[in-house]
Amino acid sequence: MSPHAMPHAEDFRAGQALGVDHRKLGMWLFIASEVMFFGGLIAAYLHYKYSLGFPEIELLNVVQVGVNTLILLSSSLTVVSALAALQAGRPGRMALFLVLTIVLGVAFLSGQAYEFASLYREGVTLTSGVFGSSFFTLTGFHGLHVAIGVVWAIVVLLGGLRGAYTAERSMGVEIFGLYWHFVDIVWIMLFTLIYLIP
Amino acid sequence: MMTATSAAGWRRYFGWNTDHKVIGVQYIVTSFVFFLLGGALAMVVRTELAAPGADVLDGATYNQTMTNHGTLMIFLWILPVVAGFGNYLIPLMIGARDMAFPRLNALSYWLIPPAGLLMLSSFFAGGAEAGWTAYVPLSIGGPPGQTLWALSVLLLGFSSILGAINFLTTVITMRAPGMSFWRLPLFVWGMLATAILSLTATPVLTAGLILVALDRMVGTHFFTVSSGGDPILWQNLFWFYSHPAVYIMILPAMGIVSEIFPVFARKPIFGYRMIAMSSMAIAVLGMTVWAHHMFTSGMDPRLRIPFMVSSMVIAVPTGIKIFSWLATTWYGKIRLTTPMLFALGFISMFLIGGLTGIFLATIPVDLHVHDTYFVVGHLHFVLFGGSVSAVYAGLYYWFPKITGRQYDERIGRAHFAINFIGTNLAYLPMFLAGLLGMPRRVADYDPSFTSLNLWATIGGFLLGISVLPFLYNALLSWARGPKAEANPWSSLTLEWQTSSPPPPQNFAVIPTVTHHPYAYGDTPGAEAVAAPATAGAGGSR
Amino acid sequence: MSETVSHPARRQPRYGVIFLVLAALTAIEIAVGGSRLDRRLLVLALLALAFAKAGLVAAYYMHLRGDHRLYTAVFVLPALLLLVFALLSIAI
Repeated sequence: MSPHAMPHAEDFRAGQALGVDHRKLGMWLFIASEVMFFGGLIAAYLHYKYSLGFPEIELLNVVQVGVNTLILLSSSLTVVSALAALQAGRPGRMALFLVLTIVLGVAFLSGQAYEFASLYREGVTLTSGVFGSSFFTLTGFHGLHVAIGVVWAIVVLLGGLRGAYTAERSMGVEIFGLYWHFVDIVWIMLFTLIYLIP
Repeated sequence: MMTATSAAGWRRYFGWNTDHKVIGVQYIVTSFVFFLLGGALAMVVRTELAAPGADVLDGATYNQTMTNHGTLMIFLWILPVVAGFGNYLIPLMIGARDMAFPRLNALSYWLIPPAGLLMLSSFFAGGAEAGWTAYVPLSIGGPPGQTLWALSVLLLGFSSILGAINFLTTVITMRAPGMSFWRLPLFVWGMLATAILSLTATPVLTAGLILVALDRMVGTHFFTVSSGGDPILWQNLFWFYSHPAVYIMILPAMGIVSEIFPVFARKPIFGYRMIAMSSMAIAVLGMTVWAHHMFTSGMDPRLRIPFMVSSMVIAVPTGIKIFSWLATTWYGKIRLTTPMLFALGFISMFLIGGLTGIFLATIPVDLHVHDTYFVVGHLHFVLFGGSVSAVYAGLYYWFPKITGRQYDERIGRAHFAINFIGTNLAYLPMFLAGLLGMPRRVADYDPSFTSLNLWATIGGFLLGISVLPFLYNALLSWARGPKAEANPWSSLTLEWQTSSPPPPQNFAVIPTVTHHPYAYGDTPGAEAVAAPATAGAGGSR
Repeated sequence: MSETVSHPARRQPRYGVIFLVLAALTAIEIAVGGSRLDRRLLVLALLALAFAKAGLVAAYYMHLRGDHRLYTAVFVLPALLLLVFALLSIAI
């Protein structure tokens, strides 16, 4: 029985002619589905924010979360710098930037954990009411995506240390980067919608 | 040589396999099993409804039965079976060796059996009783089976989304040389439109289902009314997906019909670009109509009219397709093979379903017939008279390609006849019952509706019986039918330019496409019936 | 499969500058959010700032600017759909 073969580079001729890489396109399509997923959660949050009102918003610490936002934004800088370093033929520098990314990602998650804990101390929990349910579900799923990103970053870092990526073979790192930046963009929107907009 | 029918060959279908042709068959066979289960539940429903009074089932059991009937049919039959057709046909039709992400493809399939088992197990956990629409707050309370229901649909959603990523990437990046977008077969256009809907709409249902699951499992307050939870939020999230879902169920079906008509009328398809663009228009418009399911919900009344308008506008691209198919048959040399019979049946029955959809789109009418049997009649005409007819048409049309064997044409025609009569008999009375005021989702009804229900039950039982000749034909022919040639229908699309069944790598040599795939009967000076196409092109002249 | 060659010397400072802009916009956001502007103006300003930040990350860090516009369409069209859906969910 002739074994069924995985697609080769020439199978993607049509994409190459267009200038579209199939793995990159696959990731962007996945991102599109994630846009809609977070959209559903955001729609639920906003629906209740404007029909019931969320007095608990008073308890949110905008400055602390603002700092956390800057942490996540800087992690996007380190991710894109990692890719640039790889494409400049400097895998060692890439590894350094990935380590920074992981540190910043963990810092962001710690900041979230700290915020969640202080809200819990005030009696605002996942099950305390509509605000608690909406807030923790929305930010919780975002945090879950960051956590997955951190694990993925570790995998990419290990791959990089093994020499799996080169300047010509950088798509794996680029695709990871797309995911990470998207998670950052989601947070940019959540920060505004939850913490800033009245 | 390993064929689909050789002893070792059939084992491939029971394991992890990345060949899109194997995965396609896995999808189709698995979903057909759920079709039979969903159909069995329908027989139970019709038995109960043959006479007034909750005489066969009690109310709760009836609710579980009708919930699972709808759920199985939608989530475990039609949605996966069209994905199965897409999986099998897309790489072949575009001249590729497989999908862009074969392992992701296998994963998409393998999410379905566990999801199906979860769904079936819900019966033993007290059952899901809230209808396939699972409205809150009913679905928040109720038996534990409802949680299994939600988790099952979640898994199926993931399968859909991953499949959509694969379909879109494959069509965009893996077309054979010369296969421009305007030379794509119309089935592929239909799947493109379908994949766009699957990709963007399904995740919203995912979000909603997670909210329901959290409420049930963890005690969150998304939909508990006493805490301020809003039932309309669920409806909004649910229908934002579930309306596009019906287009996901019909666009591939229309694509199948578009493939069959030119072959069996021996004429180029009329209005190729219009049909292709109408598919995309239906997809885009289909994302703007969902609240027409909520006209009576208490939603903001000012928002209803835009939804009514968009719901009516969607009739335009739909009508364009119907007229194009009819025009394709004009002065054609028509062969009434089983696929063609089902395709013709599709037109007439989908038309009834579609027109009654316009009635429902009209707010004043909908206010009277919402949640009555008028809706049940409408949905069964579009989904059963429409989608299922087209699926049968496709199963017969591509049977020789997939199995390498020819089915029995006479039994096929008999199947069509029983199916056509059964469908009309089962669902036409429902329009009348609905207009006269019979509500849906009831085990008991006012005795004045008895004769209408009895006719519907007889039609339903006919449909149940109609599956038997199909199964007999399909199974016997697959095992022992006469061997099929590469191109028994003399079709021009690429899947017919390779052996039946195709080799693992699909084509010995990737073809270079030089023609439109519907140039039937175009040979100057030749007879109306085109000669079988020679290998290597999407058109042989 | 060959990929476009980048010019790292020029790009690195660009990424850094973008980050500073993002940080500045964040600071402005926090200031605006705490201000006493008229409510509708406040919401519009905050949304504009958020979209600007998201746009910068998408265009430069995700390299949408300079890549095939199909990727941009795949990202932006669902985002617009989401905007419509979210607004509708507030009203419905």
